[in-house]
Amino acid sequence: MIMSETGATPDASTPTGMLEGDLVRRAQRGDLDAYDELVKRYQERIYATLYHMTSNHEDANDLAQDSFIKAFQALKSFRGGSSFYTWLYRIAVNKTINFLKQRRNKHHFSLNDLDFNTEHNPDLVALISDKTPLREAGLAELQKKLNEALMKLSEPHRMVVVLHDVQGLSHEEIAEILDCNIGTVRSRLYYARQQLQGYLAEYAKST
Amino acid sequence: MNQTEQNFEDVKRLLKLKRHEVPPPGYFNHFSGDVISRIRSGEAGGKQTYLERLQIEAPWVVNLLRIFETRPGLVGAFATSLCLLLVLVVFFSERSDVASQNLITASGLAATPAGSAATMNAPVLVAATDSSGIVASTNPVTSLQPVATLFGQPASGSLFQPVGFAPAGH
Repeated sequence: MIMSETGATPDASTPTGMLEGDLVRRAQRGDLDAYDELVKRYQERIYATLYHMTSNHEDANDLAQDSFIKAFQALKSFRGGSSFYTWLYRIAVNKTINFLKQRRNKHHFSLNDLDFNTEHNPDLVALISDKTPLREAGLAELQKKLNEALMKLSEPHRMVVVLHDVQGLSHEEIAEILDCNIGTVRSRLYYARQQLQGYLAEYAKST
Repeated sequence: MNQTEQNFEDVKRLLKLKRHEVPPPGYFNHFSGDVISRIRSGEAGGKQTYLERLQIEAPWVVNLLRIFETRPGLVGAFATSLCLLLVLVVFFSERSDVASQNLITASGLAATPAGSAATMNAPVLVAATDSSGIVASTNPVTSLQPVATLFGQPASGSLFQPVGFAPAGH
């Protein structure tokens, strides 16, 4: 789900070929074509983060759209102190945490089909066939358990796990997005993994 | 510790399964179009709430509020310390008022050589000069100003008397 950074095409006069900074400046002047390009560049990453936080596609879709609209509204206040990507993430994260507070204890998992590559992922195949006591348990069952375990974590802990272990962001990036120090990110990550290890003990056995 | 890290490796591998959870193909084909059309339809013109602006411009304030929300005891401690601070400020400001009043009185006594006698005569002097157009107030500094009459002309019995210049020899 991690989208690679869209590379610049030779034609830098079109929004697709523009650098992020140019797109942001044009969008700040109200250029919706430029903003459309920014949305296209980050939609998958933002959506994926929100989906992993909510475990629900409809909620993730609504939150992602609202986040992009909110970012456009606030674009004039963006001074460039951080990257646009970090700033956008911050808006999406805050929106999601507020949403989850309102939706507390009302989980509606939308467990969609896993993509084709899942069955060929050697790590997962090994986990299911070798280490799982429930050998017949399928990937869907594992997915369900995993989502349930993630939803048991508090929002700040879940957010750190999603951004780092699922989305692959660095500690520094997460600290900037969540506006906390790197030590806090590390300790939250450690605690969250420890919790997950307990919840997923039957799947996470190393012996 | 090694065992824990090994288990964390398993947890991390499990979490990688999440990367395979993707929306149906073509899901993002219309996503940006939907966002832009919502912006065009005027949603972007809506005013941001104060909290939303705060979240973007000063996230630390929001973080502080969140901490207070999750730890109500902290709110109590913070409120108590604020009250204590207020009481201390009031207490010390009252003390400083008393001290400064004492200082003024002491300096006033030192400035007048006659001491208490002069202080006692002061009201009499004010009363005597009152009829001659001197405006007195309850302020410690007596203001010697002429009483203005109609059209801004000084009263006849004012402090200043008209001066006549007569040529020499008359």
